[in-house]
Amino acid sequence: MTMTSNNGSDLAAVEMVSVTVDGVTIEVPRGTLAIRAAELLGVEIPRFCDHPLLDPVAACRACLIEVEGMPKPQPACAQVVSDGMHIRTQVSSPVAREAQEGVLEFLLLNHPLDCPVCDKGGECPLQNQAMSVGRPQTRFDGEKRVFDKPINVSAEILLDRERCVSCARCTRFADQIAGDPMLELLERGAKQQVGTAADQPFDSYFSGNTVQICPVGALTSAAYRFRARPFDLVSVPTTCEHCASGCSLRTDYRRDTVTRRLAWADPEVNEEWNCDKGRFAFPYLREGRITSPMIREAGELRPASWPEALDAAARGLAAAGSSTGVLVGGRSTVEDAYAYARFARVALGSDNIDFRVRESSSEEAAFLAAVIAGTPVTTTYESLEQAPIVMTVALEPEDESPIVFLRLRKAARSGRTRIVNVGAVATKGLTKVRGELLAALPGAEAQVLQMLPADIRRALGQPGAVILVGERIASVVGGPSAVAALATETGASLAWVPRRAGERGALDAGALAGLLPGGRQLVDPSARKQVAAAWGIDASELPTGVGFAGENLLAAARDGVLGALVSGGVELGDYPDHALAAAAFTGVGFLVSLEHHHSAITEQADVVFPVAVVTEKSGTFLDWEGRPRPFGQVFRDSLYESDARVLGMIATTMERRLGPSDVAGIRREHAGLGLWEGFRGQVPDRVPGFTMMGEHQFALASWRALIDAGVMQEGEPFLAATARQVGVWMSARTAASLDHPSQVRVIGPGGSIVLPVQVAEVIDKVVVLPMNSPGCSIYRDLGARVGDAVGLVTVKRHEGEGS
Amino acid sequence: MAELPQAARGFGVTFFTMFKKVVTEQYPEDRDKYPPKPRFHGRHQLNRWADGLEKCIGCELCAWACPADAIFVEGASNSEEERFSPGERYGRVYQINYLRCIFCGLCIEACPTRALTMTNDYELADSSRASLIYEKVDLLGPMLPGMLPAPHPMVPGLTDSDYYAGKVKGSVPEQANDRPAAGGLGATS
Amino acid sequence: MGLEESLPSGVLLTTVEKFAGYARKGSLWPATFGLACCAIEMMTTGGARYDLARFGMEVFRASPRQADLMIVAGRVSQKMAPVLRQIYDQMPGPKWVLAMGVCASSGGMFNNYAIVQGVDHVVPVDIYLPGCPPRPEMLIDAILKLHDQIQDTKLGPHRKQEIIALEAEALTAAPTSEMRGLLR
Repeated sequence: MTMTSNNGSDLAAVEMVSVTVDGVTIEVPRGTLAIRAAELLGVEIPRFCDHPLLDPVAACRACLIEVEGMPKPQPACAQVVSDGMHIRTQVSSPVAREAQEGVLEFLLLNHPLDCPVCDKGGECPLQNQAMSVGRPQTRFDGEKRVFDKPINVSAEILLDRERCVSCARCTRFADQIAGDPMLELLERGAKQQVGTAADQPFDSYFSGNTVQICPVGALTSAAYRFRARPFDLVSVPTTCEHCASGCSLRTDYRRDTVTRRLAWADPEVNEEWNCDKGRFAFPYLREGRITSPMIREAGELRPASWPEALDAAARGLAAAGSSTGVLVGGRSTVEDAYAYARFARVALGSDNIDFRVRESSSEEAAFLAAVIAGTPVTTTYESLEQAPIVMTVALEPEDESPIVFLRLRKAARSGRTRIVNVGAVATKGLTKVRGELLAALPGAEAQVLQMLPADIRRALGQPGAVILVGERIASVVGGPSAVAALATETGASLAWVPRRAGERGALDAGALAGLLPGGRQLVDPSARKQVAAAWGIDASELPTGVGFAGENLLAAARDGVLGALVSGGVELGDYPDHALAAAAFTGVGFLVSLEHHHSAITEQADVVFPVAVVTEKSGTFLDWEGRPRPFGQVFRDSLYESDARVLGMIATTMERRLGPSDVAGIRREHAGLGLWEGFRGQVPDRVPGFTMMGEHQFALASWRALIDAGVMQEGEPFLAATARQVGVWMSARTAASLDHPSQVRVIGPGGSIVLPVQVAEVIDKVVVLPMNSPGCSIYRDLGARVGDAVGLVTVKRHEGEGS
Repeated sequence: MAELPQAARGFGVTFFTMFKKVVTEQYPEDRDKYPPKPRFHGRHQLNRWADGLEKCIGCELCAWACPADAIFVEGASNSEEERFSPGERYGRVYQINYLRCIFCGLCIEACPTRALTMTNDYELADSSRASLIYEKVDLLGPMLPGMLPAPHPMVPGLTDSDYYAGKVKGSVPEQANDRPAAGGLGATS
Repeated sequence: MGLEESLPSGVLLTTVEKFAGYARKGSLWPATFGLACCAIEMMTTGGARYDLARFGMEVFRASPRQADLMIVAGRVSQKMAPVLRQIYDQMPGPKWVLAMGVCASSGGMFNNYAIVQGVDHVVPVDIYLPGCPPRPEMLIDAILKLHDQIQDTKLGPHRKQEIIALEAEALTAAPTSEMRGLLR
């Protein structure tokens, strides 16, 4: 169980009280619960409703103990110890034991005896505690209460009400932790049951956690229900690959197939929670994989042997040499990104490398190099919790980094932290963290940052203040400059929260033009010397000029300036400029693609290599804090190789000497380099941009929803069904000006799309669309980027159905 | 008799044995005269409810109980269009490897729906290892009168609990409506 | 040869095959070779009640040189495997192997490093008999099924044709790794 970790720093200030448990006197901090005091002595009191991260409720009564001076047994999970208190648990008190046995017998009255077919059987607290403190025989010979089973509280979560012991863990989680209080206890007495309102399913991004904390098998997930049993699963601790929150996960597999993923307790990062995407989006690991290398022959891709494909790739890349571009997708582990960075510089002699498969800018690259790359862990989850103020810029934590959202909510609930979001929408996520909106048109955030209200600026000057900036700052002209300047002026600590799991690691590994591992500048002579020594080459062999990055790299590939491209984990649809990206990949002379799934890019590739997914390799992700999140290989006898190994093999075929390609070797080499302490480059200083739009136009705000059309969420229909409804968000005033339409056609520079209207707390002159959800991709459908001006036309219902 | 020579006594035993009842069982000619005991552990059978729906719910308890790891089950979810058993799940794949099975009957004890029972059939010898892995089609019990081959809907008005309580007595004409042709199971083997 | 040409095609050879098969199946002599509990049932099968002698199998031969059927009755440990093979090699052809019980057939419940996982790893098996142990009727049933196989054994050019046909079939057969059936 996770212990709350927040009072480690001011231990001295904690007042201690002495309490006697079963005749043993111990000192515990004031405010400790009796159940925790007993745990310190190794006395395990049975419990169902008690959870260290949830507020005490004493709903199940399983933890009754005897407290001297109190007439009746007390619930240990809600009883705060006081100085000199004498507690007697079931170990020394017959009264407590009798009470606990009685409660357990009572809880089992209506509990069905379906343990053999129940998903929880084998890891069930009720089963375990019925064995340890229960009575061997029931005295109940009546008919058990039955309900219709199961009911869907959401598309993903199913509820078997007859198994429920009304511990209220799920309802408290939904209310306190997730802030989605759609689950509630209904009815009274024997009919008491968990349920939702008829029109409001439990569509929380965190709904899967209720399945994990349910102490019986009442809540199950559609994805795992009846698929396996706990005792035939092999569990491996892993790290979530879906976003930069860096959750510890437990991956359970059976017969070489992942059957479920659970949140693994890590008090410093994800506590005991994770989001539904990390929990349920894993079928992609198995479905639709590329199984063998492929090479293009007479215009057609055909399966090839490894030596044949390596030979083809090596010949093509050797011919292009330093005019090769390398694109590293955001899914790479640190080791793989490091291998790409080293491969580009050593094997190809090229500095044309970029990991940003998304909106990017040269200003952002300079900002990342100067402020973020190769910096040690300073701003952490813990500092969010302790901060007097957290300001989020170009970041929607609930969608883009859900665990950051949970920490912000925890901080806000404690009352210590003020949360300010610079953006165009007061989202529900912002309401849940009790945040304030500092209105800024999309694209004009930098202006707002320069003219902050005095109280916020003053608050940011307090020690511990935090500024969180999302990856979407790249779309704001002058945004990175303004954020960096604000942090320097106020002294607030600054953290960059990218969306993808591999981005921070790729940045630190030097997978960006002009940047070497550890935040070293390519142009800095001493940095070059260090890196060249680690890579076993002469510093003069490293590329001299800073290469292409971002859209310049794509344009160079399109225009034939680059002779070849190596891409790994890149999705064509993630580039804002669709036409440019497509032209780059079709136009380039030679394309090597390292992918685990077929995509628009592998179709264009000259050589395709299959690579391992996260379960088939070990590696490390850096979360947004910069904290390494290493994970081991789940399927040890997998035949797939990691990107680093494939690159190593290509380099060997090219007869270029590259360092080690195995995870341990790369880690050693990377760690030997360490972080850079010298010059990091200039912090950019751009003049803020502004948003231009005509009279009847609206500025487009957009971000990726947590559950959207991402390729790593394929194959899980139950999860997809819990996604937020796709629509156009607009303010009530905007809706009124359009005569309250139910649907509008959004017209962008490159197309239009019809979507239902949802009125939300959006500032005027702004509409919000999901960036890449089913039925709405702003890049593909509108040809528009964040901050672009779009038009709105009211649509009659029948017209909307046609398109 | 005592005065008779030893040899004659010996032949006498042989001679009188000729008039004793012959103990030899004339298997296979008189196979039916010597049936195994009713509780003999023979080949398995997957049973059906009286209306033809399968009893197996794909819970894998038989596979778990099996000390020889001879049973492989893979469950799948029933849908309204394709229902093989009452309730949520059915056994989509059911295999017993008779070259591992030791006929101990623990699987029978484990089965929560009495879907798996044992017959008295013991003539199983075959010439290849592959042919002794019996699939679900080989194991399913015969279609008795009143049964409809799965998949088909449950008897209208009855729930899965009613099936488990034994309230279903046979199929009704409504169940035959828009049934996929020729029983999906046989087609897939 | 004279007679063959004057007879309708194939008659004589078919008859020889049938006669040879009849003669062979009618006097199968098993080697005395019991390895474990199955051997108890095998001995019972030879006793009065089941009386294997009814099928021309009077005696279990103590010497492999006089036997043409090896009933592998019981689990074969890794240490026993070479011995088993030697006995098989000492038997004169034509010879047959019957894997009696699940342990001999596949290792049965002894899925561990000490037991050969199926005696077909060591010798070619003609018939597999499930059961743990199989009752005598089951053994007799297996022997009768083996008799049918022996009766239908091809000889000479027919056997050569059969070998070619079987080999062609084996070459086009799906590898085991691709046989998925219903499995996902």
